[in-house]
Amino acid sequence: MVLDTTNTVNLPKNLIEQLEGYGISADSIFISALADMNLDCQYEPCYIIVCKDKLVMALGTTKKRETHIYGKHRDSSKLFQSYQWAVKIFDLNKYDSLDIQPLISGGVLFGVKDENPVSLVAFSGSQMGDFRRLVNVYNKLAKNEELTDEDLKPEDDDIFCPKCGAIYPDRARKICPKCMDRRSVFFRMLAYFKPYTGKIVVMMLCYLGAAGLNLVWPYLNGTVLYDKVFGKNEEFLRFVGLPAGKFTVLLAAVVLSMVITKFIGQVLGIIQGVMTAKIVPDVVKTIKSQVFDSMGRLSINFFTSRQTGSLMTRVLDDANFITGFFIDGLPYFFINVLTIISTCTVLVMINWKLAIASLILLPLLTFVSYKLLPRLWHYYGKRHRASRSLYGQLNDNLTGARVVKAFGQEDREIKRFERYNSQMRDAELSLVGFDNRFYALYSAVQNIASFIVWGFGSIIVLYTGDLEVGMLISFAGYVTQLNGPLDFMSHIFRWWAESANSAQRIFEIIDSHPEVAERDNPVHMPEIKGKIKINNMTFGYEPNKPVLKNIDLEIKPGELLGIVGRSGAGKSTLVNLISRLYDPDEGDIYIDDVNIKDMSFKDLRRSVAMVSQETYIFMGTVAENIAYSNPDATPEQIVAAAIAASAHDFICKMPDGYDTIIGSSGRELSGGERQRISIARAILANPKILILDEATASVDTETERAIQRSLDRLVKGRTTISIAHRLSTLANADRLVVLDEGRITECGTHEELIKLEGTYYKLVQLQKEALTIRGISEEDI
Amino acid sequence: MSTIHCQSKPKGTEAKTEQSAYTDDILKIKYITKGNAKFKRTPGGFVSLEFEGKFYSRVSVYRAFPFTNPDSFISIRQPDEKAEEIGIIRSLNELDKETAEIIREQLNIRYFTPEIKKIIDIKDEYGYAYFDVLTDRGACRFTIRMNTSSVIRLSETRILIVDIDGNRFEIPDITKLSAAELKKLDLFI
Repeated sequence: MVLDTTNTVNLPKNLIEQLEGYGISADSIFISALADMNLDCQYEPCYIIVCKDKLVMALGTTKKRETHIYGKHRDSSKLFQSYQWAVKIFDLNKYDSLDIQPLISGGVLFGVKDENPVSLVAFSGSQMGDFRRLVNVYNKLAKNEELTDEDLKPEDDDIFCPKCGAIYPDRARKICPKCMDRRSVFFRMLAYFKPYTGKIVVMMLCYLGAAGLNLVWPYLNGTVLYDKVFGKNEEFLRFVGLPAGKFTVLLAAVVLSMVITKFIGQVLGIIQGVMTAKIVPDVVKTIKSQVFDSMGRLSINFFTSRQTGSLMTRVLDDANFITGFFIDGLPYFFINVLTIISTCTVLVMINWKLAIASLILLPLLTFVSYKLLPRLWHYYGKRHRASRSLYGQLNDNLTGARVVKAFGQEDREIKRFERYNSQMRDAELSLVGFDNRFYALYSAVQNIASFIVWGFGSIIVLYTGDLEVGMLISFAGYVTQLNGPLDFMSHIFRWWAESANSAQRIFEIIDSHPEVAERDNPVHMPEIKGKIKINNMTFGYEPNKPVLKNIDLEIKPGELLGIVGRSGAGKSTLVNLISRLYDPDEGDIYIDDVNIKDMSFKDLRRSVAMVSQETYIFMGTVAENIAYSNPDATPEQIVAAAIAASAHDFICKMPDGYDTIIGSSGRELSGGERQRISIARAILANPKILILDEATASVDTETERAIQRSLDRLVKGRTTISIAHRLSTLANADRLVVLDEGRITECGTHEELIKLEGTYYKLVQLQKEALTIRGISEEDI
Repeated sequence: MSTIHCQSKPKGTEAKTEQSAYTDDILKIKYITKGNAKFKRTPGGFVSLEFEGKFYSRVSVYRAFPFTNPDSFISIRQPDEKAEEIGIIRSLNELDKETAEIIREQLNIRYFTPEIKKIIDIKDEYGYAYFDVLTDRGACRFTIRMNTSSVIRLSETRILIVDIDGNRFEIPDITKLSAAELKKLDLFI
């Protein structure tokens, strides 16, 4: 077999040349890793290289030490080009095996010879993946095992942006915020607004109209009012077609047109506002539904690998943010560009000298807000964080009030609260302080600009006569009008970059493919018998860290199988795999001899129901919650299921009975009550395969017995897998399986396992002892 | 019912005493002292331990209170995945100088955390912050996430920074930073 080693070599050129001098060609190198520390905790590069038959250690030395860069870098081989390499070459049998002693972050690579460990180099957390792979390759070679391409494949083939070489901030996302294709994101986003083209055109016209009126206003209230009306300009009277001397009429006409201008401006503003109000919620809704829809299709891994909080932000905030940009930002951008150009033109036309003098400071104003606004936001962010931790502390205290009181720690809590409270005050103070300074500076620059206009302008009016007073007022009006658009331009680009990032995040969810996907032509199995077969299955949530190892298991139809084992042994993982929340890394699971990967999701979900340790209650009535798996269930079926789950009594005792609203904002249920509702849900689903994952852990023994009895009835004719810590729960199990560190260590009936005197026997003894203290006899278990 | 059970179970009581001895053993702190243990450097650069008649060819050292009490309550554990505890050193000061030195070497590498002496630059962009600093180990650069708790306040003045790969950095006393440096760091504290 020819292995592809082209991607594996990422070594400095001079080192490769040096190695070739020792007879080690670049293509004989299987894998290399960079140890970035030595054993004395000093930064010192050392490449560990595994070739066909050699182990090479190349220690870099240099006179001038470079800045140490954490994390992988595309040019890491270039980073050390000026280094000298002290190369040591060993045969592959130098160590029987290599291994890693993990540190808090990073690790120490050591070799084992005749069971004696010898430490070689240390490396930071950034290099862990490389070293794991290197150790794996070395150990396979040392044992003369065959290597596969999989072994040599770099962990993250492309963690760098191919364009700019920066590391992707989020490796799972593989998106470079700097180089991402904003144009395609832009046009895709634009597509959401296509249905509203008409409204958007109206909106744009309103914006344009408003911008036009903005140009007219200073002219009216400056030059027309002062120069033509107050200045008694006869020529202007003739121009507008009024008889000579009728300046009162002219004044009335000017005032009227000023009123009309303002009025139209207001009307345009209202129309534009109405249009925005019509478009924005619709688009936001469309985007949110699309995101939610895609999230529903995604596999469970997506939800566990990200924080639920950040998902919520994505769905809720990102959509708002983007729509805000497209509705508020984009049209304003064009309008503002237009306003700036036209206003400047008008200014230059009125008086080019004054225009230059007054515009000279405007870039400074733009610069001030460009530089300082982000800092202002930063203070806002800080206050936001402070208030969040204050609320967090408050929330903590209110929910934990019982504990605080029980331990008499009120004073300490008050002090703690005091601390967060002062943090909040400090954040508020620095925000207000900066805010004031910012606006002081901003208006200072603004005022200077207008001083220049007025001062310089007055000189022109007084001495050169190039300008009239009214014209100067108009001029000043135009200059003030520039402030808004320029301010806007100073942060539009940041706004755009951020909303493009938001849009990208949304598309990422909309586009992502579920890891656990239904096959194209799934097998339909309306009726199953309930046989389960697991074939040499290995699974881990993270690569190289298997939680379940080589599981072989066969469960007969109708069998009740108990799974016991320490916490963390992989019990819940095993049942999650059977209900296909995840797919195994190796091996397969069959239901009725059909691989579950080939089964249709609908049939699989209908055939397998799970009551897990995490009960989830949706917002809705008790009846709706029970009928979640089968919305068409009759009231009779719902009550029957509730009775079977021992839930009927407590439900009837609630004032609103089965119509009681429960869930996040409804009535609080106890842990046991929630669990019984989820059992009722599973009973109503009437699955062929029932999985009980600590289903009765939070109910009292008496209730457990009651549920147990109804479960006994329920499990007849179906395959049941039950996980329990309380062994009494598994009293009726046909067979028991003991899981330990991800392996099945024992398997058999209760009697067989007792005879074995293994883990199960020990567990039974321990629980028996616990019970004898309380005076409960063995037979009761 | 229950009274009868209580009286008629002498067998169970026996089992209890036997089991309790086992449980009590687990529940006690097993101290490793100068007198009952012998730590040695191995030729391979690790540490071996002779304790309670058993010889451990390699042991791992863990701090129970890495920030508040780094020299006390050092947990000595098996080097494998399960990392079962062998015993606890109450304080490194209670050991003889050489042994304490051996343990310290191991702790230093396990808890490798460069101290930031000077902040040259912090750039934040798209939810990530890029640090350029001078540490007691030399100049270095690293990247942290902005949204999660990458910057942990250990006390009013002490800060721990965890980068995207889990590497740790410490600022022992932020009041010793210059005003300009504090300004750069302000976003995180």
